[in-house]
Amino acid sequence: MIKTLIPEQGSYLFGTRKQLSILFFLTTVCVVAFFLAILNGSYQISLTEIFSAEQESIQKVIINDIRLPRVLLSLLVGASLGMCGAVLQGLFRNPLADPGLIGVSAGAALGAAIAIVVTPKFISESSFGLFLLPIAGVLGASLVIGLLFTLTKGFGYQGTTYLLLVGIAINAIVGVAIGVLTYISTDSELRTLTFWTMGSFGGITWLLLIPASFVIITSLLLLIPSSRNLDLIQLGEAEASRLGVDVKKLKIRVILCCASCVGASVALSGMIGFVGLVVPHLARLLGGVSHRYLLPGAALLGASIMVSADLIARIIIQPAELPIGLITSAIGSPFFLWLIFRMKKNDY
Amino acid sequence: MTIKSKGISLTIEGKRIIQNIDLEVCPGKLVALLGPNGAGKSTVLKVLAGDIAPSQGTVEYENIDLFRMPIIERANLRSVMSQSQSIAFDFTVMEIIEMGWLHNNHEYYAPHYRDALTEIVQMCELQSLISRKFNTLSGGEQKRVHFARALLQLWIPETEAYPRYMLLDEPLANLDIYHELKILEIIKNHLSKNIGVLIILHDLNTANKFADNVALMKEGKIVKKGLTKDVLTEPILSATYQTKIKVNDTTPAITYM
Repeated sequence: MIKTLIPEQGSYLFGTRKQLSILFFLTTVCVVAFFLAILNGSYQISLTEIFSAEQESIQKVIINDIRLPRVLLSLLVGASLGMCGAVLQGLFRNPLADPGLIGVSAGAALGAAIAIVVTPKFISESSFGLFLLPIAGVLGASLVIGLLFTLTKGFGYQGTTYLLLVGIAINAIVGVAIGVLTYISTDSELRTLTFWTMGSFGGITWLLLIPASFVIITSLLLLIPSSRNLDLIQLGEAEASRLGVDVKKLKIRVILCCASCVGASVALSGMIGFVGLVVPHLARLLGGVSHRYLLPGAALLGASIMVSADLIARIIIQPAELPIGLITSAIGSPFFLWLIFRMKKNDY
Repeated sequence: MTIKSKGISLTIEGKRIIQNIDLEVCPGKLVALLGPNGAGKSTVLKVLAGDIAPSQGTVEYENIDLFRMPIIERANLRSVMSQSQSIAFDFTVMEIIEMGWLHNNHEYYAPHYRDALTEIVQMCELQSLISRKFNTLSGGEQKRVHFARALLQLWIPETEAYPRYMLLDEPLANLDIYHELKILEIIKNHLSKNIGVLIILHDLNTANKFADNVALMKEGKIVKKGLTKDVLTEPILSATYQTKIKVNDTTPAITYM
């Protein structure tokens, strides 16, 4: 009788059968969103045209050089923000954590701000050109993580609360630096900076996408095997260690992976708010809280939402487009409020 | 084949928390750790579990220094139940119990997953709770779930029962009488499975009835340890607890005046 109550273990990596079917459903949604985003935009392309069009036709050029890299980037950024949000909320045992919290996004933003405001005064645009902004972003993110690592003695000092507080403090310091840069920038630099802050997937090329996707995919794949340890750490750090989890190693792995994939994402697409915070909660509502399901679930959901949001950004006021961060924040912030009220109710 | 602490002391910021503790837990034996509040019982348990390294002295599991043992190996030898933290996300009771299952990658034990889980859920009478959300349970129910998880952590097929240990910090707090007795019965049954138990208790009568050995602590030191009947005597108890305590031949054996 009770045997039927105990779920089949399903795949050890991805949770129960029900969760596996939800993951399958999310994959389908993601694929559909991907094709919709490829086909729609200021220039409509039909499915048959993709396959029938000649090599040099305008449709092929649009798809290969503009839409495909752009949609792939939004997919990767959505997946990385979604999964890193889930992982960091798990590590900090805090439903309000997100990739911005440990200062990575702010670090990338600082790097980008320096690239936009300071470097043109010293070196000419052409010497780095295309790579300047993303490299500066990754460097900024690494700098912040390095700082966090030193200040918390390898993420081990006095538990996660301390780590969280140091992250918040670093965020504030970086905020000041960006503020100073904003103040000394010229009008055109300010405009670039502001638009970068709101995020966009436009202007991506294969040359930038390929190294970024390598970094993002590797980090995401390295995070997945930590899912059971992230479950165990919900019992508290001492308890997790009694169950055989090397907590310090887990922290280092999680934070370095999140830092590199969020750093790469932010460097290429700017600050995109609320996805890392909200997507994990949506995924939990769909299929449960176990990280074995949650990590791939949040990645797939984040990717689907980001691809769709970018599609909306491109078509809503075409031929112009809205900054993607505006759309995600517009959808995300009311949801965030709802989440806070829901949490309050659960206290009783 | 024991957990053995030799002269462990712990000093934090110049303050002696525990001093020169020698303790021994053998498989098949129930050792009760007793003493007034703030005596250092929980700290001793944490050091024996490997959570905190002592300032002096050593802890050995089967004659191997605990602090040189890989974390995962420790997990296979002992499970710990202590004051637990609140859980941020809505895990189900089943998911919480399942966290104790360490053998997913073990060639021989992994196929026993459902048998082990079924056995323990039935043993702890948690059938009606397993699909509930953990955070909606009462304090006592949560205790029982954590206890089941600690049992699952030590589950191995009976034929291969190597010595293992349970370290329990007040597992009976918040429990009603029925479940208190139930858990004590389960602990008793596990002693015969080559498991040794160290348990921190408040109730002297429970200790008197169930423990093989007792260690009595006060102000960070062991006042007296040994066979239960040798330690739980009127003069020792009265002095340790600074209360007049009477030990009778009837039940309850120990009464407070």
